[in-house]
Amino acid sequence: MTYVVIENCIRCKYQDCVEVCPVDCFYEGENMLVIHPDECIDCGVCEPECPAEAIRPDSEDGLESWVKLNAKFSEIWPNITAKGDAPLDADNWMDKHGKLSELSEAPGIGG
Amino acid sequence: MNQVLTPKDFTTNQEVRWCPGCGDYAILKSVRSTLAKIGRPPHEVVFVSGIGCAARFPYYVDSYGFHTIHGRAPAVATGVKLANPDLDVWVVGGDGDFLSIGGNHLLHALRRNMDLNLLLLNNAIYGLTKGQYSPTSSVGTRSPSTPGGSVDRPVNAALMALGAGARFVARSADTLQDHLPEVLTRAQAHKGASLVEIFQNCIVYNDAVWAGMATKAESVDKTIRVADGEPLLFGKERDKGLVFDSNSGRMQLTEEGGDAEKLATIHDETNWALACALSRMDDSSLPTSLGVLYCDPVSDYGSDQEASNGFSTLSRDDLHGLLHDGGTWEVEG
Ligand SMILES: Cc1ncc(C[n+]2csc(CCOP(=O)(O)OP(=O)(O)O)c2C)c(N)n1
Ligand code: SF4
Ligand code: SF4
Ligand code: SF4
Ligand SMILES: [Mg+2]
Repeated sequence: MTYVVIENCIRCKYQDCVEVCPVDCFYEGENMLVIHPDECIDCGVCEPECPAEAIRPDSEDGLESWVKLNAKFSEIWPNITAKGDAPLDADNWMDKHGKLSELSEAPGIGG
Repeated sequence: MNQVLTPKDFTTNQEVRWCPGCGDYAILKSVRSTLAKIGRPPHEVVFVSGIGCAARFPYYVDSYGFHTIHGRAPAVATGVKLANPDLDVWVVGGDGDFLSIGGNHLLHALRRNMDLNLLLLNNAIYGLTKGQYSPTSSVGTRSPSTPGGSVDRPVNAALMALGAGARFVARSADTLQDHLPEVLTRAQAHKGASLVEIFQNCIVYNDAVWAGMATKAESVDKTIRVADGEPLLFGKERDKGLVFDSNSGRMQLTEEGGDAEKLATIHDETNWALACALSRMDDSSLPTSLGVLYCDPVSDYGSDQEASNGFSTLSRDDLHGLLHDGGTWEVEG
C-alpha cells in the first residue's frame, strides 16, 4: 500500500503535507507534488493535513492512474522536505475538477 | 526452503490501527520487506507479542502469530521455539512490555539464548494506555502518572541485554529505511537470542523524543552507525571519530584537529567491553550508537548438544521415577 497525491493538488500545491511526513517522501513538480510509493510507510499523517483533500490511500477504488503518476514523477522530480509558498491563485483552483490537463511535467525546485 | 517473496506476502487484510504518523508504520514496512528478502515462507514464520501498541504487530504480518499477555511474549515464544525449533520466531514488544512487566522474561530469554529475534520498539512511553512514563523515559518526563516529572533514572536496554548475557545486541530507528532492514536481517541470521532496540516515535504521547536520530539531516551528527571492522566515524564528512578509553571504559571523541580516521577505534562486534561503552554514550557531546553493537555467537539453546541430550535421554519411566523419588510425603492426621 501507499498514499498517493491526486488531481486536487494540481495548481493548489499548498505543501502542508511535506513537513509532517516522517520519511520525507514527497517530490515536487512545478504545480503538483507526488509521493514516492516505495518510500511511503503508509502512516497516513499527511492525509488530514491537505486543505485540498488531495492525499488518498491507494486502497481506495479508481486511483490506479494516480498511483502510476506518483510512481513515475517521484523518480524524476526533486525531493521536497520544507514547505514553500503555495501558488498565489491556489484557492481559485481548490474545488475545480478535470485539472489533469493543467499538470505541468516540469520539476519543481525541491528543498 | 527459501523462495521469492514480496512484502505483500507478509501483509494481512487487517486495517492497521496505529495513530497517523506513528513510528510503528515505518517499522512494519521494514519488517515486511526484510521477511520478503529472507524468503522464509510465511507459514514458517511466527510473530509473538505481549500487550501495547507495538504488540499489535502479529495482526499486520501475514505469518503465524500470537498476541499473548503483557510482558510474557518471550516466555510464550520460548515455548513455540521449543516445540518447533524449525520456525523463525520473532518477538515484538514495547518498552513497557519488555522492560517493566516483562523485564524478567526478557532477561531470561536473553541469557537462555534460544534462537529468537526480539524487537524492542522503544518510544519511552506507555502508548496504548495513553502516555504514562516508562522504564526508558528520561528523568523529568511529565505524564499522567508523573505530573510533576518523573524521578526514576531510565534503564539502558542495550546495556541491560549485554549484562544479561545476550550474544547479539543492535539498535536502529523507525524511519531509517536504509538501516533498519539491514539490522533486522543480521538479527534474523544470528543463531541465538538477538535483541534489536528500535527507537520509535510516539507522535501522540511522546513526539520527537528521539529527535535527531531519525531524520537524515540531524542523524549524521547525533548518531554513529557502527560496522564491524570499520573505524568508528561519524558526521557529515565522517570527520569525527570515537576512541575506546580503556582506563575509564568509556568512549571519547578523537582529538580535535587530528585525523579521525586514523585515531578512531576499529569496531569489533565481538568486543563486549566496547559494546558496553558504545551503548552508554550519555554525554551529550557523544552520538547515539546504531547498528550491530555486539555479535558473538555461542551455541544456542536448542542446538546445544549437552542440553538436548539432557532432555532426550530421560525416558518416561525415568521421569516418573524422578517425580516420585523421595522428597515427597503425605501429611497425615
Ligand atoms: C497485566 C497487565 N498490566 C497492565 C496492563 C495495562 N497496559 C497495557 S499496555 C501497557 C504498556 C504499554 O507500553 P509499551 O509496552 O511501551 O507499548 P507501547 O504501547 O508504547 O507500544 C500497560 C501498562 C495490561 N494490559 N496488563
Ligand atoms: S497539501 Fe495537498 S494540495 Fe498541498 S501540496 Fe500537499 S498534496 Fe498538494
Ligand atoms: S502516509 Fe506518511 S509516509 Fe506516506 S506520504 Fe503521507 S506522511 Fe509520508
Ligand atoms: S499511542 Fe503512540 S505508539 Fe501508540 S499507536 Fe499512537 S502514536 Fe503509536
Ligand atoms: Mg512504549
